Amino acid sequence: MRIPIRRFVGVALVAAGLLAMLPAAVLAQDGGEKITVSLVQAALIGFGYYMAQGPWLFGMGFFTLYRPLVAGFFVGLILGDPAKGTLIGAAINLIYLGFISAGGQIPGDPALAGWVGTTLALAGNLDYGAALALAVPIGLLGTVIWNARMTGNVVFVHYADRKAEEANIGEVARANWLYPQIYLFLITFVPVFLAAYLGTGFVTDILNALPIWVLNGLAVAGGVLPAIGIAMNMRFIFRGAVIPYFFLGYLMMVASNRSLSIVIIGAIGLALAYLHVYFVGQRERGAAMAAAATAKQVASEMKSGTEA
Amino acid sequence: MAAQVEAKGGTITRRDVIWSWVLWTFFSHACYNYERLQATAFAHAMTPIIRKLYHTPEEIAAALKRHLVFFNTEPNVGGVIHGAVIAMEEQRANGADIDDDAINSIKSGLMGPLAGIGDTISQGTVTPLLLALGIGIAGVSAAAGTQPDLSQLTGNPLGAIVYIVLEVAVILALAYFFYMQGWVRGREFVTDMLRSGALDRLITGAGVLGNLVLGALAATFVAVYIAPTVSVGAESLNIQRDLLDKIFPGLLPLGLVLLTWWLIRRGVSPIRVLVVYLVICLVGAFPFFGEAPQYVTDKCGSAIFQPYGPCPPPAQQGQQ
Repeated sequence: MRIPIRRFVGVALVAAGLLAMLPAAVLAQDGGEKITVSLVQAALIGFGYYMAQGPWLFGMGFFTLYRPLVAGFFVGLILGDPAKGTLIGAAINLIYLGFISAGGQIPGDPALAGWVGTTLALAGNLDYGAALALAVPIGLLGTVIWNARMTGNVVFVHYADRKAEEANIGEVARANWLYPQIYLFLITFVPVFLAAYLGTGFVTDILNALPIWVLNGLAVAGGVLPAIGIAMNMRFIFRGAVIPYFFLGYLMMVASNRSLSIVIIGAIGLALAYLHVYFVGQRERGAAMAAAATAKQVASEMKSGTEA
Repeated sequence: MAAQVEAKGGTITRRDVIWSWVLWTFFSHACYNYERLQATAFAHAMTPIIRKLYHTPEEIAAALKRHLVFFNTEPNVGGVIHGAVIAMEEQRANGADIDDDAINSIKSGLMGPLAGIGDTISQGTVTPLLLALGIGIAGVSAAAGTQPDLSQLTGNPLGAIVYIVLEVAVILALAYFFYMQGWVRGREFVTDMLRSGALDRLITGAGVLGNLVLGALAATFVAVYIAPTVSVGAESLNIQRDLLDKIFPGLLPLGLVLLTWWLIRRGVSPIRVLVVYLVICLVGAFPFFGEAPQYVTDKCGSAIFQPYGPCPPPAQQGQQ
């Protein structure tokens, strides 16, 4: 079993970072006109992030609350501006458009970027570049929480092993659904609650102190980073005979000056998928029939040959 | 039945399988871990079946341990494995000659291919397509990169709601269908499905749709604008606007996506790629060619990269 020490170091770093936020948040109290996040609001936001990782929504947390678009909407609801929250969430989601989690590895944490990023951007009234400036490092930090979760849960697996030996069905089930949730709640709710409650003044003050060219650079990154998500997704589907469709989709968008609706692209895609599968299948059937016919012909020729 | 109570075995009803599906769909990643990934979740999903089929502590312990081994697949399409395993457990408990190896080999043999197929369908095609739809409705369209000031835009919460409804409907329908098919039609169905090419056709179709959508998303949301100009006679030409885009519109973003794909396929970690890109963007935004900008959009051409859209031609820039 491999549990690299650096994972624990990572967890320690997050804890230290959060502790470091405390004095900074106190120092940064003389900020301008920002929304202040109340204790209850911060708790709701922390709970939302836990629900994104937890199993309680019919397992659909990963497909809904985990996405910055949805996280932004709920943060907006909590802080009183769902329209703007959705907009910021959608902007952050662009970086994670092609997000894919495979084999227990994640390339960043869209949920943390969505929940904390939207909170800080909304509370600090940040612009696009600054919102992304926050979302990128926060998303990277989220992988530490993920690693803590994936490493810590090993304890419950060994507990389940022991209870299986005793034929204790109930405890094996609880080792899966109940006990890990207590741990998950601690490592998800607590950091997000603290970041939402204490982080806003601190983070916006830092961003206001940055030179404009840094914000420009982060805005440039906002255009570049979606390429990573898309490329990660391409690793799974950009192969074989369907590669040309990627370029077709790209060219359709460029040629229409990026005005085609994604619904139209999806409908055209369904039609093309049907045609592609149909014609490839027909060619294979044709080839199979031709092979069968040839074999038959050869057989009959051989037969007539022996007769002659 | 009452007259002839079997000490061994039992019958699995549709209700048991639905309960098993509910447990799996809820808790497939509840105890996700690096050592055995979804192992405890598989055992958990089997608990209603084990309760029904096995009655002695030895049998129960053996069944629990059989399903606490390493397991990892895409939870929705991969549910077909659980369905097939339930069918096998039922036959085994009622006397059929199915040993641990048969069950283990079905699980470990199918989880890989079905993870690939499931990820292509759910995370690779359905999710990005619906996310792009939701993001568009939310108000961040192709203009996302050209609007520096989010306070000037109003969003539309409907984008998030439409996404949630459609995504959950599609994913849950897929999950229920595959789980139940696996149980009703058994392991022969699963292996036949893999052998007959029906899944190949499905994955090819999903590949066509997924590639088209990803290509469109790349064109819409990946943006690279470079500022440097070259002087040709009296005119100064922007390298990107006046040269590259004349040859092939959108050449730079496409090149960037393909480069990134190539790097990741060669095994470079996506997080490393992200950090390197971030550094390049920051360095590229440093005002080498002029004074430092005072506002996020007010200087064009003072750095290598330009945020929020291409530089306007020099004459226009003077007017602004």
